[in-house]
Amino acid sequence: MKSLVTLLISLTLSLPVSAQDWKLDAGKSQVHFIIKQMNVPTEGGFRRFTARASFDPARPEAGRFRVDVDTASIDTGSAEGDDEVKRPAWFDAKKYPQATFIARSVRREAEGRYTAFGDLGIKGQSHALTAPFTLIRQAGGWRAEGRFPLKRSAYDIGGGDWADVVADGLEVRFSLLLLP
Amino acid sequence: MKQGYRWPLVGLHWLTLLLIVVAYVIGSLLEDMTLSPLKLKLYAWHKWLGMLVLFLLPWRLLLRLTDRLDSTAGLFPWEARASAAMHGALYLLLLAAPLLGWLQSSAAGFPVVWFGALPLPDLVEKDRALAEILKGLHAGSVNLLLALVVLHATAALYHQHFRHDGVLARMVPWLRSKP
Repeated sequence: MKSLVTLLISLTLSLPVSAQDWKLDAGKSQVHFIIKQMNVPTEGGFRRFTARASFDPARPEAGRFRVDVDTASIDTGSAEGDDEVKRPAWFDAKKYPQATFIARSVRREAEGRYTAFGDLGIKGQSHALTAPFTLIRQAGGWRAEGRFPLKRSAYDIGGGDWADVVADGLEVRFSLLLLP
Repeated sequence: MKQGYRWPLVGLHWLTLLLIVVAYVIGSLLEDMTLSPLKLKLYAWHKWLGMLVLFLLPWRLLLRLTDRLDSTAGLFPWEARASAAMHGALYLLLLAAPLLGWLQSSAAGFPVVWFGALPLPDLVEKDRALAEILKGLHAGSVNLLLALVVLHATAALYHQHFRHDGVLARMVPWLRSKP
C-alpha cells in the first residue's frame, strides 16, 4: 500500500566522484506490504516500481535514494481487491498514479545498516518517513532491504466502513537489487 | 431399551446442521457480492463456522463410536449396509468440505484466523491456480454434502412416518416415549 520505496540516490550534491548511479533489477526486487483484514495478516505488493540510487559504496550515507511505485500495479491477492483499492476512496490510481519515496539523508547505523530519512508521497500528500535498511553486496551490485510501518489514514487511503475490517496500520517491506 | 443417543451427541448433530446451513447460505451470498466491508466480514464468518464444523467432527465421532445404541436394530441387512455407507459418506464430507475450504483459503493467500483470535496454519503455499481448483472441489463437496443431508433427512422421515420404528427419535428426544 502503500508504499513504496524507491530508493534513489541521486547523489551528491557536492560530491566525490566515486559516487555512482545504480540501476534497479526489477525482476529481482520486491515492494510488498502486510496488512490485516479481519485480523488476518495478508500479503500484497506492487508489480511495477522503479528505483534509482546514486551512492559511493564506501559511503552510502552520502547518497540519495528514490523509489517510484505505480499505484495501479497493486496486487492485493485478489482481483476484486485490486480493483477496489485503485478507486478514489483508496489510492485513486487514475489521479495519483505514482507513490514516491525520496530519501533526503541517510545515516549509517553500523556496518551495512542504515536509516533513510525522507518523504513518502502518496495520493497527493507527503509525510516524513524514516526507513531502516541494510545494504548487502549481491550480484555485482547491492541489495537494499528494509521495512517500515505506515498508516493508511495518514494518506487518506481507504476510509469509511473499511476501517472496521481493514487495519489502519500496515508494514511495507522492500528488497531492491541495485546493479551498476 | 436405549431409545436414543446421548444428549451431547444429539446436540452436536443439530448444531452441525445449523452451522452448515448458515455457512452454506453465507457462502452462496459471497458468490454474487461485490467487494465491501460486509463481504469481508461474511468471508470471515463463513470460514469460522466451517472450521467449527471441522473441529466438532472428532468429538461427534468419538461420542458416536462410544455410544452403545445399536443403530441397525430392525433393519434389513441391505438397509444396514446402506445406512452405514450413508453415515460414512456424511462424516467423510463433513471432514472434506471444511478441509477443502481451509486448503482453498491457504492457497488463496488469505489465512484463517479463527474467530479473529486464533491463527490457523496454512495448509499449502499460496498458489492462485491451486486455489481455483480447490474452490471447485470445496463447492462440489458442499453440494454433495447437502444432497446427502437431504437424503438422510428423507430416510429419517420415512422411518418416522412409514416404519414407525423410532429411528428419528434417536436424534429427537421429545419423540421418545416416556419411560
